[in-house]
Amino acid sequence: MRALEKGAKCLVADPRRIYFADKANLYLPLRPGSNVPLLNGMAYVIIKEEFYDKEFVERYVENFDSYRHYILSEWDLAKASRYTGLKPFLIEQAAYLYAQAKSALILWGLGVSEHRAGSYTAMAAANLATLCGFWGKPGCGAMPLRGQNNVQGACDMGGLPYVLPGYQSYLDPTVKLRFQEVWGEPIPDREGKTLPALLREALSGKVKALYAMGYDVAMSHGDIGSVWKALSNLEFFVVQDIFMPLSGKYAHAILPAACFFEKCGTFTNGERRVQLFEKAVSPPGEALPDWLILTKLSQKLGYNWNYQSPAEIAEEIGKVWPAWKGIIHSRLKEKGIQWPAPEPDHPGTSILFTSGFPKGKIHLAIAKHIPPFEEPSSQYPFILVTIRRLNHYNIGSMSRRSPSLNKLYPEPVIDMNPEDAKELGIYEGARVRVFNERGEVIFRVHLEERVPRGQLYADFHFENALTNLLVSPGLDDLMETPEYKVSVVAISLFR
Amino acid sequence: MSIRIKINQKEIQAEKGELLVEVARKEGFYIPTLCYLKGKGYPENPCGICVVEVRGEGIVRSCNYVIEKEIEVETETPQIKEIRRKILENLVANHYGDCKAPCHTPCPGGLNIQGYIGFIAKGDFRASHALIKERLPIPAVVGRVCPRFCEPVCRRALVDQPVAINNLKRFVADYCLEHGELPIELPPLKDKKVAVIGAGPAGISCAYFLRLKGYRVTIFDKEDEPGGLLRYGIPSFKLPREVLRKELESIFRMNIEFQGGKAWGRDFTLKELFEKGYEAIFIAIGARKERFFGFQGEEFAESGFEFLYNFNKGQLSLKKYEGKRVAILGCSYTAIELSRVLRRLGCSVTIYYPRSRMEVPVPQREVGYAEKEGVKFVYVTAPWILERLDSKYKLILVRTSLTEKKEIKPLPETAFEEEFDFVFKAWGEAPSDEFKTFGELEAKLETNAEGIIKVNPQTLETSLKGVFAGGDFAHGAKTVIQAVASGRKAAQAIAAYLEGEPIKRAPITVKYDFSRGKRAEEFDSNFLDLFVPEERAQLKEREPEKRIQDFEEVLIGLTEEEAIKEANRCLRCGCLGIHKCEFRELLIKEDVPVSRARKKIKYAIQKAHPLIEVDSNKCIACERCVRTCPYEAIFFRVVNKGKPTEYITFRFTERCVNCGACVDACPTGALTKNNLLVPYSRKEAKPVKSVCGYCGVGCNLTVWVKNATILEVTGRDLPPNYGYTCVKGRFGFEFYKSSERLTYPMIRTDRLKKFERVSWDTALEFVAENLLKIKEKYGPDSLGFLCSARCSNEENYLMQKIARGIFKTNNVDNPARV
Repeated sequence: MRALEKGAKCLVADPRRIYFADKANLYLPLRPGSNVPLLNGMAYVIIKEEFYDKEFVERYVENFDSYRHYILSEWDLAKASRYTGLKPFLIEQAAYLYAQAKSALILWGLGVSEHRAGSYTAMAAANLATLCGFWGKPGCGAMPLRGQNNVQGACDMGGLPYVLPGYQSYLDPTVKLRFQEVWGEPIPDREGKTLPALLREALSGKVKALYAMGYDVAMSHGDIGSVWKALSNLEFFVVQDIFMPLSGKYAHAILPAACFFEKCGTFTNGERRVQLFEKAVSPPGEALPDWLILTKLSQKLGYNWNYQSPAEIAEEIGKVWPAWKGIIHSRLKEKGIQWPAPEPDHPGTSILFTSGFPKGKIHLAIAKHIPPFEEPSSQYPFILVTIRRLNHYNIGSMSRRSPSLNKLYPEPVIDMNPEDAKELGIYEGARVRVFNERGEVIFRVHLEERVPRGQLYADFHFENALTNLLVSPGLDDLMETPEYKVSVVAISLFR
Repeated sequence: MSIRIKINQKEIQAEKGELLVEVARKEGFYIPTLCYLKGKGYPENPCGICVVEVRGEGIVRSCNYVIEKEIEVETETPQIKEIRRKILENLVANHYGDCKAPCHTPCPGGLNIQGYIGFIAKGDFRASHALIKERLPIPAVVGRVCPRFCEPVCRRALVDQPVAINNLKRFVADYCLEHGELPIELPPLKDKKVAVIGAGPAGISCAYFLRLKGYRVTIFDKEDEPGGLLRYGIPSFKLPREVLRKELESIFRMNIEFQGGKAWGRDFTLKELFEKGYEAIFIAIGARKERFFGFQGEEFAESGFEFLYNFNKGQLSLKKYEGKRVAILGCSYTAIELSRVLRRLGCSVTIYYPRSRMEVPVPQREVGYAEKEGVKFVYVTAPWILERLDSKYKLILVRTSLTEKKEIKPLPETAFEEEFDFVFKAWGEAPSDEFKTFGELEAKLETNAEGIIKVNPQTLETSLKGVFAGGDFAHGAKTVIQAVASGRKAAQAIAAYLEGEPIKRAPITVKYDFSRGKRAEEFDSNFLDLFVPEERAQLKEREPEKRIQDFEEVLIGLTEEEAIKEANRCLRCGCLGIHKCEFRELLIKEDVPVSRARKKIKYAIQKAHPLIEVDSNKCIACERCVRTCPYEAIFFRVVNKGKPTEYITFRFTERCVNCGACVDACPTGALTKNNLLVPYSRKEAKPVKSVCGYCGVGCNLTVWVKNATILEVTGRDLPPNYGYTCVKGRFGFEFYKSSERLTYPMIRTDRLKKFERVSWDTALEFVAENLLKIKEKYGPDSLGFLCSARCSNEENYLMQKIARGIFKTNNVDNPARV
């Protein structure tokens, strides 16, 4: 907002006319699931009209020729326009606006990630920034606005099957050696499985046990009907949480954890800023901080881990991941530090790539378009898009239990275009049944001009409206993120 | 470019283009302001309090004075102070509210009544109890015996009836006796020892507060059990022994030593205590000397006080009282308690009191309970002659009138005669001075004309150094809450004495306290329509016929639902923005009293916003809210600012996203948060640095904690949020107190079975065993470990370390996809 006041230009691409669109210089109401065509269409204009930063491309970019060929041959404006439903001149304008800026930042939310082509969209966005040389300077780059408060940290810490903490490869011999030295244990070098893969293998019987810490798989995942089946097939399932999650139904052990007001530690926000939070109150009953539960568990597993505090653990992280060496709790008392901070007194790095790139050059990836898994049909004519409401948070386990927030937004609501509603005899505030082959969910309907025809927008914050039952089984081609943003459904008045 | 400027003759480096107020504040100069917000523009009518004098230019506002050249500045000239004072006086004249609730003032214990009721309203009983215990260590006792100085001034009485304040206190105290209280953080014990003589309410209170400061305390009492008057004076149907025992136990558990059966003067002297290493002594042995009325044959009457004492010790043979006719002379607390005990022993009881019913020295409530139990009261009647017959008494009584000085004048011509099996006198008690003979130091203790020990009213120190006295012993027979207050005061004085420091006393700020009317009739009741009549919660009283058959408690406490409902009857008079009120702070600092504040309400209190209450009567039109709001969500107009005709229009527009930034920016109580019901000062709360647990922006937050409870959350002026945060950051913290939290580990071997509560040891062994078994049987890759986007980095690191380091699998993932 402050940037806009200072005269920055703003471009919004969203199927729904979100409030921020009112502030934008250019608003692109594209069709759900057509992010790659839009971005590649813009790249087409930028390359065709030679708006790209030739010097930057010359110096830092590899694979430009094949990328250029791919874009020019595959993504002419007519095609981009056909996929996105946007007039060609809008895409052109967007390309001009972006490429002609002195600096530009691409921000995105889950509307990019939660598609089958989610990862390719991120690549396509990064490609635009690369073409125009928008890296390594203030106000530049491409950045996902991270949803959950420590999703950045969970990835940084190696909560991923294909990399170790700090995105280091378990195949790199020096890395392996470093871990072995610090842990006193060899690390595995077989590739791990993502959660969707784990769930598939639980169904087929290969995976037998899961341990979920602060993650309600049974409520938050897409196409949860299949998730429930997978969880029921596990031989052993441990759930560690602050409230009884839906997953508890399938669990064998429930371990009560302290919430973040009741312990200390660090969270890393979307800007890689590692911030310290301190203990404000004591956990209820016998609940314990997660780090202490895991430490005690390791002792039962025959390892004598003996961490006395999260500060001690942070120190160890600095030993296995050099970029975290400067993340020392005592340094975070006043304010956070953005990693990389490779020395104990390093001030942190607010902008990456100011002096070159880790692999020397940026690789322009070929960002393919994959259409959504499901297309509207006469039987299921609406596209359901899951969204979040300001007053709630994710599966709502915390926000629903905060009376102030729940007062503001006490029940699940689905947003619908008034014209569509009129045709179906649906009125404001009516209860509606939204269904497809996977299940049905009851919502209260809100008629909203900002919603385009043929689309429905619903939250998934409530246990009494498990929106994720309806979510398409489609997964991101690379990262297996469920396609929360495009599922086909039908809607009718609920009587 | 650097410029040298002078502020109050001190040379300072400033950058060209800097604001004068910023430079001066950076250098630590005092420049007050109520409207200035760095980088957020200026209101249409700035407050003007930040004025300074620039030589050659005269008086200027420092908040918009840009430094361009070398200047000399004065910040504290008489002219500046006068300008500030005038501006503040104008603001005072337009301000209407209560800084503190009226119930707060009369409480001898100084309890934060509105605060503990606020906690109850939110169902936070333990926090309520902890808040009470900051000043009152025995709430279960006082919740049963307090005469309730607060309730008569409760403004709820203007709507229907006063809030049942004392019953609420009793409720949380009983709740915590049953369910456990919040742990108190005790400092380690110091070497210094203090002796307390007398284990009554004053002595126990003094010991408690000394222990909270880390002193080693020993309480001596001549009886075997602690409690003093509470145990030996108050009968069990009013204060059950079990309640007393539990409550005192919680205090003695804090490492306070009790030496029972040790009588001052018989077993030890003050000198001996000092010789044993006690560095200070607090005497609180109560008032045990019986008063006399003065009539013929008074010496034949039995002592009511002694009877009660011996009865409560279980040393009386009770048979001889059954079915007897008894007269009690006087209507003291002792008389009432005695009459009710005797009713339970099967006597018929008559209380004779020389004055009218309205003049009894006990609450009317107490008379009512006794009457219901069949005690007869005869007022305006005094004993004249008492004669002892063989096994009976002959009592001649007279009617009375009052002299001009309101003294009792017996009317002998009205004499009449009654016969009784027992006659007790119970005119009340006074402190005794028999201690003077106890020893050489005791003889030096000075007493006043009435024989009561002399103490310094500020410190409660006696004429002997290191010897303090309080409670009924020093002040004459008063109430339990007054004894507790006296013990607390003594503890402060003793701590100061032991450390050789002056007593830290909170400055008296009464003259800066705005009030909407000290008495109910002064109050402009124009906004009472906001409150729906709601009946006051009454304690259930056991049937009189049944209750006189036993010694069980007569009054039954409130239930949880009743207590929450009753707590919500509170009008919340006291300002719930007092913790952030810069206006009040400035009035105190600039010594501007508030006696000329407005006396009438001008604006209706707005309760339409779901999370924020707006009271424009407290608005000083600084427009900080408007300038802070990033969403243009506030419509604000002020006309004739600073004049008696000032008129403010304030409303939220539909653009409001409920973030609450305006409340935190407001320097008075004009904007307050609906979910904060406890008036507090920022000094009594602990600010804890935190980071928001909701989205990935990672707002820096300050969590304000008091009584182990989060009162509110505010944004910190740091990147990435620069003081801002959304509705979830400010209001979404409440979930942590949800009754649905998981509080103990549970396991089951089969999904079809119910969970079984187990210890951590068992649960973790169960988890370890099963995971290892599966790894053994199916190999490491048959296991999967899920990190959390809501847990800390350190915790996620440990989770993947368990997977990789212990189970040797890379099957680790996190909720990045959801």
